[in-house]
Formats: sequence, structure tokens, C-alpha cells
Amino acid sequence: MEIKKPAMAGTLESSDCQVTVEPGDGKIDFVLESAVINQYGNRIRKVIMETLKNLDIDNVRITVVDKGALDCTIKARVEGAVSRSTDQFENILWGGRRKS
Amino acid sequence: MEFIKLEGRPFKGKELELLKDFLKRNDLDYDQGIEYSVCLLDENYQIRAAGSAEQNVLKCIAVDESVRGTGLTGSIISYLTQYEFENGRSHILMYTKPDNRDMFEDLGFYTVLMTDDVLFMENRKNGFEEFINRLISESPDEAFKPGVVIGSIVANCNPFTYGHRYLVEQALTCCDYVHVLVLADNRSSFGAEERFFMVQEGLKDLPRAIVHQVSDFVISAATFPTYFIKEKIRGEMAGCRLDLELFGRRIAPALRITTRFVGTEPVCVVTGHYNEEMKKILPQYGIAVTEIERKRSEGGAISASEVRKWYEKGDFEGIKGLVPETTLEYLKKKKKRPEA
Repeated sequence: MEIKKPAMAGTLESSDCQVTVEPGDGKIDFVLESAVINQYGNRIRKVIMETLKNLDIDNVRITVVDKGALDCTIKARVEGAVSRSTDQFENILWGGRRKS
Repeated sequence: MEFIKLEGRPFKGKELELLKDFLKRNDLDYDQGIEYSVCLLDENYQIRAAGSAEQNVLKCIAVDESVRGTGLTGSIISYLTQYEFENGRSHILMYTKPDNRDMFEDLGFYTVLMTDDVLFMENRKNGFEEFINRLISESPDEAFKPGVVIGSIVANCNPFTYGHRYLVEQALTCCDYVHVLVLADNRSSFGAEERFFMVQEGLKDLPRAIVHQVSDFVISAATFPTYFIKEKIRGEMAGCRLDLELFGRRIAPALRITTRFVGTEPVCVVTGHYNEEMKKILPQYGIAVTEIERKRSEGGAISASEVRKWYEKGDFEGIKGLVPETTLEYLKKKKKRPEA
């Protein structure tokens, strides 16, 4: 799936995270800000990379500002941002691997 | 505490007055150019937090003392960021007081420049470094050799005239290379891309002039908010210091610029004030400011606004002596196909 335009999802409120995506320059460019980066940075990174992989995205500039979000929240926010950037609002991105 | 969200695009009437009052209590002035504001109200319909946006710049962000430390700044920034992305703007800038640095760093902002009284931030990690690296990559290696004299001109070129070209030619008489920084703000009559194109075409025969398109970091809605609404503003309100500090501290050193050239400004008070501030600020960073008398034609000093007047009327005879052949051709072509 291709990131077509900048888009975001989520907020900077506690227990949430703000995910922004933009067209990349041929790779996944990932920036993470989090107060718990030392404790959970690798875990957050893993969730995001897995979510992107499930969406078949390998060319994106993605920035995540984490405010203590749970894995499921992070996953939903990444899917939300990608949906918006691809103008995909039918129930394609939720609930597991994307078909086709 | 539950808050009610109130948005204005921008606010008008009584709501605007309430917002202005709230900002005043927090030592802030409501800015002229604001296009979107969001407020959080308590159950008594009193504003407890607010923030605004103009272009891709977040400003006038304040949280009432009684509710500080409850994460309302995060909510405000979230709404503003959402607004910017909905408008296709992903590079977001803001300025605030230096004391707020930690707070905004936690909200995903990175420092571009900090002076004694203002902190300028962006939402892109290394965004400024990427900008500088692009300028460097667009320049020939010879422009970084020791002993080479480098000058710079910053101009909107709306459109590109003989006046601009003359300024570049004059600069080249005393510099080995001249960086020509063309503004990228899209509020001018000619778009950023077409202005850049006209400058490139008009300077093609001068290989020692290096033409760049600059983005949010040189005379933009962020660094010099009043430049594009000149008509509405008095000179002393120009608010251009951040622009000059950024140029002097970070842009000029990276490109080894030692002189900045400007044309004299007989008419516009904002630009006139900018030039005066420039002469005060840039020399502090070892950059000389050279003011060059404007090139004149039969009708007086050449100015882009004069050219625009002729262009609006479709009078290309009037334009002829004021712009290079390349610009004239472009303008004629554009007039024929206005949408192109």
C-alpha cells in the first residue's frame, strides 16, 4: 500500500499516541518520542513495524509521539493514519491482515 | 474536569473578544493573520485553554494557570495538528517562550533556534538540518573552498525583474558566488514554483549565482509573519527579528555567507524596517549588509509591484523594459493560459 499524502491519527493526551505519516523516500523512516522510550521503546517499535508490514507499507516517513499508549492503541492509530493518507475508509484496514 | 471544545475558522464577534481577553490575561496578543483557533471551555463557558494556527504555524497557545499540569497543552496541540494535516500541511512550526522547551519537546517538537526571549520549534526531527543539507547539495563544491567570498540575496521575485538581476550582478562584482534564496510562500500573486522557475531562467547565464528555493526557514509565515500582509501592518510591528537571527546564526554560517545584499527600499515600511533591523543584527554574526541603490528605468526605481500592475492590465509594452526576456516570455505565456 502506498502513502499518498500526509495524514495523522491520535492525540497527545495521556494513554494515547499521535501518529503522523508522510510519503517516504524509498524506505521506512521512523521517529519515536516517548517518556517511556527506555522501558518500552523496542516494544513500541516492534508493534509499529508489524502493523506497517501487515499493511504492506515499506515507503513511509512515520513519526510517533507516544503518551503511554497500549499496543492495541498504537496499532489502531497507525492503521488510522494510513487509512487517512490513502483515503481508504471502507473496513479494509481493521482486524488483521489486509487481503489482496 | 470536562471541557467543551470550541473551534473558530477564525473566531468572530463575541467569541473573538473572549479569546482576546483570555490571551491578554496570559500576556499574549491575538495575531492578525490567524485562520483557525480552538478553545477549551469549562462548564461556566470560560476559556481555560486556547491555541491558534496561521498557515503551518501554531501560535497564541495558552493554558489558564488554574488548570496547568493537566495535559491541556497536549489537547490543544493535538487539535491544531489535526487541523494542519487536514489542510495538507505536515511540516508544522511554532514559537513559544524558552521556558516551555521541555513541555513542547515532550509533545514532539524540536528546537530550531532559541534566543533570550523566543524559542522556535518544528515538528520534524532534523527538519532544519535537512533543509541546510539540501542548500549545500545544490551548491558547487568550489563555493565551500577556503578563501572564496560568498554573498547572499533573499528575494520573493514576484515576478523576477531587472531589479533583482541587477542586484545579483552587483553582488557578483565583489563575491565569487552568490546564493539567491527565493521565497517559497504561496500567498504571492505568482506561485513558489513559477517564481523559482523565472529566477532560474533569468540567471542562467550567470553560473556563479546559485539559485535555491527556500522553505519555512527564510521569510516565512513562521519567521516573519507580517511580510506577506504588509499592507495591514505598521513597520515597528514587523516581527522580523527571528528571521534575521536564524539567518545570522544558522543559515549563513552553513553556506559561509559573509555579505548579504539588499536593494534600497523607498516605499514599503515593513521591508524598510526589515532592512534596518538587518543592519543591526547580522553584523553581530560577522555578516556585512550591503545596501544597493535600486536599478532605475525611465519611470523610476524598478519594482515587482509595478510589473504586476502592468501584468494585470495585460500591458506587455509597459513591462518590457522592466523584466528580462525570460520573465517577459513566461508572463505572456501565463496570461494566455492563466490556469497553467
